[in-house]
Amino acid sequence: MSNSILNELPALLKANVITEETAQKIKEHYTKNGDESQSKLFMIFGILGAILSGLGIILILAHNWDDLSNYTKSILSFLPLVIGQLFCGYTILKKAENTVWRESSSVFLFFGIGASISLIAQVYNISGDLNSFLLTWMLLSLPLVYLLRTSIVSLLYLIGITYYCCNSNYFTYPKEQTYLFWLLFLGITPHYYQLLTTKSQSNFTLFHNWFVAISLMISLGSVGDGNEKILYLSYMCLFAIYYFIGKSSNFDNQKLKFNSYRIIGKLGTLILLFVYTFKSFWIFFHEKKVHENTIITSPEFIIASILTIIAAILFYKKINKTNFKDFGIIEIIFLLNILLILMGELAAIVANGIVLAIGLLEIKRGNQLNNLRILNFGLLIITILITCRFFDTDFSFIVRGILFISLGLGFFLTNYVMLKKRNRNEK
Amino acid sequence: MKNKNILIILFLFVVMAQLFVPSQMIYNQEDILNTGKIVKFQCEPIDPNDPFRGKYITLNFKEEGIKVKNLKEWNRNETIFAKIETAKDGFAKIKSISRTEPTDNSIYLKLKIDYIADYDYEHKIYLDFPFDRFYMNENKAKTAETVYAESTIDTTKIAYALVATKNGEAVIKDVLIDNISIKELAKAKNNSNK
Repeated sequence: MSNSILNELPALLKANVITEETAQKIKEHYTKNGDESQSKLFMIFGILGAILSGLGIILILAHNWDDLSNYTKSILSFLPLVIGQLFCGYTILKKAENTVWRESSSVFLFFGIGASISLIAQVYNISGDLNSFLLTWMLLSLPLVYLLRTSIVSLLYLIGITYYCCNSNYFTYPKEQTYLFWLLFLGITPHYYQLLTTKSQSNFTLFHNWFVAISLMISLGSVGDGNEKILYLSYMCLFAIYYFIGKSSNFDNQKLKFNSYRIIGKLGTLILLFVYTFKSFWIFFHEKKVHENTIITSPEFIIASILTIIAAILFYKKINKTNFKDFGIIEIIFLLNILLILMGELAAIVANGIVLAIGLLEIKRGNQLNNLRILNFGLLIITILITCRFFDTDFSFIVRGILFISLGLGFFLTNYVMLKKRNRNEK
Repeated sequence: MKNKNILIILFLFVVMAQLFVPSQMIYNQEDILNTGKIVKFQCEPIDPNDPFRGKYITLNFKEEGIKVKNLKEWNRNETIFAKIETAKDGFAKIKSISRTEPTDNSIYLKLKIDYIADYDYEHKIYLDFPFDRFYMNENKAKTAETVYAESTIDTTKIAYALVATKNGEAVIKDVLIDNISIKELAKAKNNSNK
């Protein structure tokens, strides 16, 4: 594309369509952009190369060379680690400003650390405990994020600590209640903060937004300790907090794909609301279990309270700007948590009403903004709501059939009317 | 320039830490192998494959369970110390378990309780042995697995693991079938198949 334009330049100059100066500017514009995309490509290939060769070395050593003595095998196990360290040392000394070098050498070292530990475990037949292995690996890799300013290692670290959290809390029975994840997570926050403040538009930041949001969402459940029901309330508050972060001035102006918080916050709230609309959910929620601990002092209750307070502060900050006038239903649902619990089974009916209202308001908003996507989103919400109701109500097939036909017609009509309106406006 | 020097010093510290962890692992294992007491654990029948660490054979031990008076005292996943004694047949047996580390000169292992069997016909605590994998060269692992499986089914052959122990920690030295190393057996079998 850029090449064909550059080839046209002499002809355009000759025909006096553009001046010499403009031609020069066009040339500069395309060569500069070309350089940027080339360095991006370099980076991707550099990182991929580092990952592949790192894994290759692990596989070759995993062959287990029987004829070598334990001593030789142990020395060889250090190989991936030392190579990675040498690359990183060289990068710090000579290529400190080169992102490709920084990212690929630190990725190589990241895998080198894990490889050395596992290979020594192989030499000495240690079956090992995955949790302590992950913990050691991640702790030894964390300094790289800051010393080499590398974002890929930061992302790998996030994956590692999230897996550690899952493995120690969800995959082990009885679970080893450990809050270490939160401390490990704090370790990465300065880097994330720096990315947000200095490179808010870069791809690395985009990935971090998604990884951080998902990692925290997965790990929140790990605080469960006998009163897992309360976690529903915590999750509702977490989604509210995500939504407010996504709506804050830092994120709201960005492209939607950068705004993981808004997407997860909104969808999460809606999905939980759908769960709330089931009567059986509230029966389960109020059922007293024998082995339950005291609620007030349980970690779940404390976390839920803290999250409610944070969400309330963010909500207050947001509506304070608009003089308490402009806010959506979705923003106050976390406050309803408290009311809904007190209501008992009645809460299901209220939740149904809220979902219906959100659906209708989305349709209205879509219509006002002339936006088909929002309009259909509203219709989808109502469709899901009605489908859900078929599980816990006894409508006859005829009623269900009629409801679905009218919904289908609703989709047709609203879309048809809006497209027609658009065509008229265009004419 | 000053910043860069600090960065280099910090990096060197990280390098040292990264080198220290695997070195410490090697040192511990070598120490147990060289100065630990050797016991034999008899094996039972069972081609696993660990994507990161290569091929290994899984060992099952005859002595994984122990009868205790009060099962309710113990919990799953709890760390305990198991005293080991050598029986008349020359193989190791679990003598007793306790929550405190033995201070006398006896051989013991630091183990986790794998599960507690509390049925009508069985009241036993099963322990999780940390040395249940024996890594092999990938060309020999399959043969070794077959040799091992055949020997554990064949009652005339005795398979056992030679384990070095020190301060509750243990390292496998070798796996032997009728006193011949499984590595030698797999090698011989591989050669005769060719």
